[in-house]
Amino acid sequence: MIALFVFLAFGSCFYSGHYVFAQSDQTASKLQAANTAVEQAFNAVLDAEKVGANVTGLIAQLNVAAGDLAQAENSYRTGDFNAAGTQTDSVLQIAQEVTISAQDAQQAAPVSGQNAFWFIIVFTVIGAIVFVLVLFLVWRRVKQRYIKSLFAAKPEVVDR
Amino acid sequence: MKIGGYKLIFVVVGLIGVLLIATPALSIIIPIPKGQQFSEVYLLGPQHTMENYPFNITVGQNNSLYVGVTNQLGSSAYYVLYVKLKNQTDLYPNPAAGTPSAVPPLYEYRFFIQNGGNWASLLNFSVSSATFSENKSLVNVLTINNVAFTVNKPAAWDSDSTMFSYQLLFELWIYNAQTNTVQYNNRYVSLQLNLTQTV
Repeated sequence: MIALFVFLAFGSCFYSGHYVFAQSDQTASKLQAANTAVEQAFNAVLDAEKVGANVTGLIAQLNVAAGDLAQAENSYRTGDFNAAGTQTDSVLQIAQEVTISAQDAQQAAPVSGQNAFWFIIVFTVIGAIVFVLVLFLVWRRVKQRYIKSLFAAKPEVVDR
Repeated sequence: MKIGGYKLIFVVVGLIGVLLIATPALSIIIPIPKGQQFSEVYLLGPQHTMENYPFNITVGQNNSLYVGVTNQLGSSAYYVLYVKLKNQTDLYPNPAAGTPSAVPPLYEYRFFIQNGGNWASLLNFSVSSATFSENKSLVNVLTINNVAFTVNKPAAWDSDSTMFSYQLLFELWIYNAQTNTVQYNNRYVSLQLNLTQTV
């Protein structure tokens, strides 16, 4: 009876210790996965930003995920593996959403960027032509007035 | 003025005007040189000003300050800010070697900042448990933003400055997209603390 009790007591200690280690490992794996997911999402956002996409909204979303991830890391550091695991779940979901949105933005950005580029080029060419034309017309007017004033100032010969 | 003078004025005005109109297109074609690229980390007092920084702290007393980071890297960046507690024997980060302090991090912030942007957060901290002997103090538990960390950090009595000296160290780390790793950014700031037994 005593032997059985001792066996159960030691067994329960061993099981409890084993459970804590298993939980710690599981949470560490989840944290690693969350870190990787956030980094991949950020890589996608950086790629979108490079081609000229507006990433303000995506960065705001990533900040929510980063805040949760930091909380999870802090909880893990204090040994609160349950909280760390729960906080990690939302990180993965947000990171995946951001990655998809960033990839969409990256694909859409070259089209809108190209449109903006051509708009600026056309605006510049038309603007420059109109400006030079107006300036030329003003120049002609000034020239005519100048010549007119020259003729008006021409000395006349008076017979006496 | 002769007609040649007027002509010169019109030509100059025309050239300047065309250049002004073409500025948006030129800014696309000719890349504007980038300025110096850097990140900065700073601390401000509880009123968001450069005063009233916590210095004399006692056990159980709540202290607060603002910590902020600015991104001037030319693109968005992913930062990790580690908060560490060091005593006078722990080493600071080495700016020449670009290595962080060997003290393990307690609390951490993670955040993203767009180019030219800024991030700031209020940090509340308190020494939740500490013991004192004649020439030695020991911080058992440090609470940062309601998260309690067991630190067991000792400090010997500093007879020169007559205090138990601790420093709250803030290290800035940054995600490197080329290597897919978070690296120490060689930027840190610290807050000197004097742990006292009574207010």
